[in-house]
Amino acid sequence: MTDTTTKKTATVGVLALQGAFSEHVQLLRRASALITSPYSLNFIEVRTTEQLATCSALIIPGGESTTMAIIAERNQLLEPLREFVKVSRRPTWGTCAGMILLAESANRTKVGGQELIGGLDVRVNRNHFGRQVESFSEPLKLSFLGEDEKPFAAVFIRAPVVEALLPATKGNPKAEEVHAPSKKPAGELEAKFMDEGHVEVLAEIHRRGHSKKGLDKADRPQEEVEDKERERERKGDARVVAVRQGNVVGCSFHPELTGDVRMHKWWLEQVIEDLKRREKLGGEVV
Amino acid sequence: MSTELPVNGTQESRSETFAVKVGLARMLKGGVIMDVVNPEQARIAEEAGAAAVMALERVPADIRVEGGVARMSDPQMIKEIMEAVTIPVMAKARIGHFVECQILQSIGVDYIDESEVLTPADQTNHVVKHPFKAPFVCGCRNLGEALRRISEGAAMIRTKGEAGTGDVVEAVRHMRTVNAEIRKAQGLTEEELYVMAKEIGAPFDLLKETAKLGRLPVVNFAAGGVATPADAALMMQLGCDGVFVGSGIFKSGDPLKRAKAIVQAVTHFNDPKVLADVSCNLGEAMVGLNVEKLTPEQKLAGRGW
Repeated sequence: MTDTTTKKTATVGVLALQGAFSEHVQLLRRASALITSPYSLNFIEVRTTEQLATCSALIIPGGESTTMAIIAERNQLLEPLREFVKVSRRPTWGTCAGMILLAESANRTKVGGQELIGGLDVRVNRNHFGRQVESFSEPLKLSFLGEDEKPFAAVFIRAPVVEALLPATKGNPKAEEVHAPSKKPAGELEAKFMDEGHVEVLAEIHRRGHSKKGLDKADRPQEEVEDKERERERKGDARVVAVRQGNVVGCSFHPELTGDVRMHKWWLEQVIEDLKRREKLGGEVV
Repeated sequence: MSTELPVNGTQESRSETFAVKVGLARMLKGGVIMDVVNPEQARIAEEAGAAAVMALERVPADIRVEGGVARMSDPQMIKEIMEAVTIPVMAKARIGHFVECQILQSIGVDYIDESEVLTPADQTNHVVKHPFKAPFVCGCRNLGEALRRISEGAAMIRTKGEAGTGDVVEAVRHMRTVNAEIRKAQGLTEEELYVMAKEIGAPFDLLKETAKLGRLPVVNFAAGGVATPADAALMMQLGCDGVFVGSGIFKSGDPLKRAKAIVQAVTHFNDPKVLADVSCNLGEAMVGLNVEKLTPEQKLAGRGW
């Protein structure tokens, strides 16, 4: 790189507490080679609050969300992560387990519930399609990559789905759901990155969840006795598998498991747009 | 530190099904998989931060003491563990016992371990693992054994070590052997690789792929004798992608504390300060057996072909 001296460096982190973090770092490196950026991009694995503090954007990878939440809590990373996502409104992308952690609400969690970071006003249903023997790969139309783009080979592993977009004013949570604590953006600048109440559906899949017949309790989708609004949100039997709310993106599948670099490229472009906008508004890149 | 396992490697491009099998193994990386014998232990493991649990009736240390034929666990007991936790649940089948594998798959086990810890059901053949929907993990002592298992369809490999001893020496030996053989393969010409493939009894294409990658072409965990956070971090620094802990946790004085410490040690395997912190006041480690004092017949690692 000849021009690194003139470019500002921006660090993009991948949370590396457990799971497929190395895969994301590999794809980020490959994606960054395909885009022109006014910033010199630096990719790091994040295990500590000090490392997180150097990041302008973050990926939370696939892995076990229960495990990651426990390790994050034990390493005093949960609050800094909530600050990063919900107070500083930095671009954050969660895949599979990462999307569960970024949801404001989740069900079918372990006994005693699990900690969430939040940032996406959605409720996710964990292990929606069932256990590993129900895991699958399917071509998925991702129109945000461009209308003419060929389908994306989406790999779903014990995957969650977004089962409801939550209204801005939350009702009484059910006992089996867990919720993330709410946070306010740090200031006017951060609030501009919020897009409160607006969750954009990026992708859906037409596939049945796991049938209840012959299954153990832990594998059953939550009883489907919900109100009409949720039915409407579901749009027939389509399941929401990718969402965006302001700077926060979540998807059920694992772009980090395919050689397809398009989604990482797209996300890095969003990160660069965010950094440019922050600078224009007088904010800091880092 | 483990060498990067490239995304969408040639193994995964063999078939969509295989990619999905390897996918779950990739999700378990940087994690600890703990042996548990009942739902209570499974809950302790989950709270400690285990990435998965291995459901079995007797931990290897007890299998050693009690002797007799060690078989697949009661499916009812495995199901109870599957109900108790949300993390993936693995279970063991005897080497070559493909019907035990069919049973484990049918109850929805997330990973099957065709394991030398149980009494082998076949003295010649391993299970052909490709036709199964459930993914398999298998043990190895050296590169040839690892590549034979991958060739049969294993989507994840672990060192055999010497289960149920609390002595990490064999796991270290097996990991170092695999690493040394990979380094050797990296220095060979194509002609020489054919000879090495013959010598170690490995399929040529897999050996060539391994030499190119500088690591096994699937996720590789440590197993067999890990008893302390330091043992776990040692295996990670030797290049493993994660760690199985069998008897080491629930045969120790304070299982929850030790389990948490080993999870921390795997995440921060390169940070001696964290390792020192988590190694403090763990209480008694499992008593342990010196591998040196075992007769060849007492060693489990010799099972598997």
